[in-house]
Amino acid sequence: MRAYFTYFKLKFISSLQYRMAALAGIATQFFFGFVYIMVYIAFYESGSHHTPMSMAQVVTYLWLNQALLALVNQFSREEELFKIIKDGGISYELIRPKNLYFMWYFKVIGQRLANVLLRFFPLIIVTSLLPSPFHFGLPASFSHFLLFLFSLVLGTLLVTALTVFYPIVTLTTMNEKGIVNLMISIADILSGIVVPIPFFPTFLQKISSFLPFQYISDLPFQLYVGTISFEKGLFGMMIQFIWIILFLIIGNFFMNQSLKRVTVQGG
Amino acid sequence: MKLYLKSLSMHLRGELEYRVNFILSFLSQIFVFFTYYFIILALFTKFDHIKGFTLYEVLLCFSIIQFGFSFNEVFARGIDKFDVLIIHGNFDRLLLRPKNIILQVLCSDSDFVKVSRMIQALIVMGIALIHLEISWNLFRILCLLFMLISSCVIFFGIFLAAAAYCFFTVQGLEVRNVFTDGGKHMAQYPIGVFQKGFVLFFTFVIPYAFVNYYPLLYFLGRSNSIYYAFSPLLVFFFLFPCILLFYFGMRRYTSVGS
Repeated sequence: MRAYFTYFKLKFISSLQYRMAALAGIATQFFFGFVYIMVYIAFYESGSHHTPMSMAQVVTYLWLNQALLALVNQFSREEELFKIIKDGGISYELIRPKNLYFMWYFKVIGQRLANVLLRFFPLIIVTSLLPSPFHFGLPASFSHFLLFLFSLVLGTLLVTALTVFYPIVTLTTMNEKGIVNLMISIADILSGIVVPIPFFPTFLQKISSFLPFQYISDLPFQLYVGTISFEKGLFGMMIQFIWIILFLIIGNFFMNQSLKRVTVQGG
Repeated sequence: MKLYLKSLSMHLRGELEYRVNFILSFLSQIFVFFTYYFIILALFTKFDHIKGFTLYEVLLCFSIIQFGFSFNEVFARGIDKFDVLIIHGNFDRLLLRPKNIILQVLCSDSDFVKVSRMIQALIVMGIALIHLEISWNLFRILCLLFMLISSCVIFFGIFLAAAAYCFFTVQGLEVRNVFTDGGKHMAQYPIGVFQKGFVLFFTFVIPYAFVNYYPLLYFLGRSNSIYYAFSPLLVFFFLFPCILLFYFGMRRYTSVGS
C-alpha cells in the first residue's frame, strides 16, 4: 500500500509543477463556463413549458462541471500510459515487483487530484461572488451536500478505473485510435458534460442509466443542486459502487491476460 | 496553386497507406461530430425556440460555421498546427525556399479524416434547408454561397492570427482555444441571441456575425435589407490584418534551433 501511495505522491507533486499551464487552464475554463451558460440563458429567456431544472440549478451545475473538469472528465487520455505501451517502456514497469494495474491506477488518480486542486478553488471562489445569472449557488441542503461529497469520491474512483481500462485495451490492440476514441466520444455525451442528463430525451436517459458514464459526474452534480432526491442519490451511489468493483475486476483480469502474451515494442 | 494541389495529393496518398486506420478514424470522426450538434438537438426537446429561432434555423447556422471550420482543418492544417513547425525548428527550412511562405505552411500538412466533418456539416445543412420553407431567389442562393465562403475565410484568418501568436510565445497555449473553439461554440447559434457586448465583439473584432447572423436574417426572410445578403463579403477585410500580423510576427521570429 505504501508503495502505491508513493506513486500517487510522485505524480501529484510533478503535476503541481505546471502552475502556468493551470493558470491558462483556469482562464479558459472561465471563458467556456460563460459561453455555455449564455447559451442556456438565451434558451431560458425564450421561455419553455417543461424545463427539468431551474436556471440557477443549471448555472451551478455548469460551474461545478468546469471547476471539477480536471477530476472527472472522461475525454482526457493517459498519453503517458499509451506511450510506454508503444515504445517498450512497459518492460521497466513489468520489472517492478508490484501489481501493474494498481500502479497505473494510483498514478492516474494522483494526476487528476493535482490538476483539480489547482483549478478548483479560484473558480469556485470567483463564481460564487458573481451576480445573479452567473452566480454559483449553495448546495440544496446539508444532507445533499454530504451525499455530493461521497458520490464525488466514488465518481473519481470510477472514472479512474475507466481511464486505466483504455490503455489495457491498447495492450492487445496496440492502437488506441478507433475503438478507444469511439468509446471516449460516447462517454463524452453520456457523461452529462456536454448537456446535463435531465435535458436528454427520455429514451436516452433510460439507456444512459444502464451505462456507467452518468454515475461519474452527473450524479454528484445533480445531488449538489438537488434535482435528485436523497433516496435516489443513495441508490445511485450503490450503482456507482457496483460499477467500480466491476471495472476493477475486469481491468485486472484483462491486464493479466494480455500481460501473458505482451509483446514489448523496441528494446 | 499547382504546388499546393500536388502536396495535397501527396498527403492523401500518405494517409491512405494506413487504410484501416484511416477508415476507423473517419468513422469515429462522424460520431465525434455528432456530439457537437447533440447539444442542440437535446436542448430543443425541452425548449421550443431560442429567442425566436427554431431548431432547423439553428442547425443551418451551426452547419455553416462547422463547414468553414472543418474546411480549414482539412486544407489549412499546417497553419492550425503551426506551433509544431516552430518547436521542431522546421520553419527555418521553409524560410530558405524561394516560395511564398504562407503557401509553404499550407503545403506542410493536411488532415483528410476531417473531410467526414465537412460532409456531415453539408448533410445537416441539407436537412435544415428541407425543413425550412425558404422562398428561393437568386440573392438567397448567392447569400448561402457567400456564407459558406466567408465561413472558410474567417477561420483561415483566425488560424493565421493564432499562428502569428506562436512567433511570440513559441508554444501554442490553451488560451488560443478561447478564440477558435469558444467563438465557434457561440457562433453555432445566431449571435444575436446573446448579450449585447458579445454581439458587438463578434461583429467588430472577430466578425462571426457577418458570417452567419446578418446574412442568416436575410436568408430566412427576417430582414429585407439586400445589404445583409452581401455582408459576408466584409469578412475579407478581417483577413488582411491577420495576414499582416503573420508577416509582422515572422519578422520578429528567432529560430528555436534544433
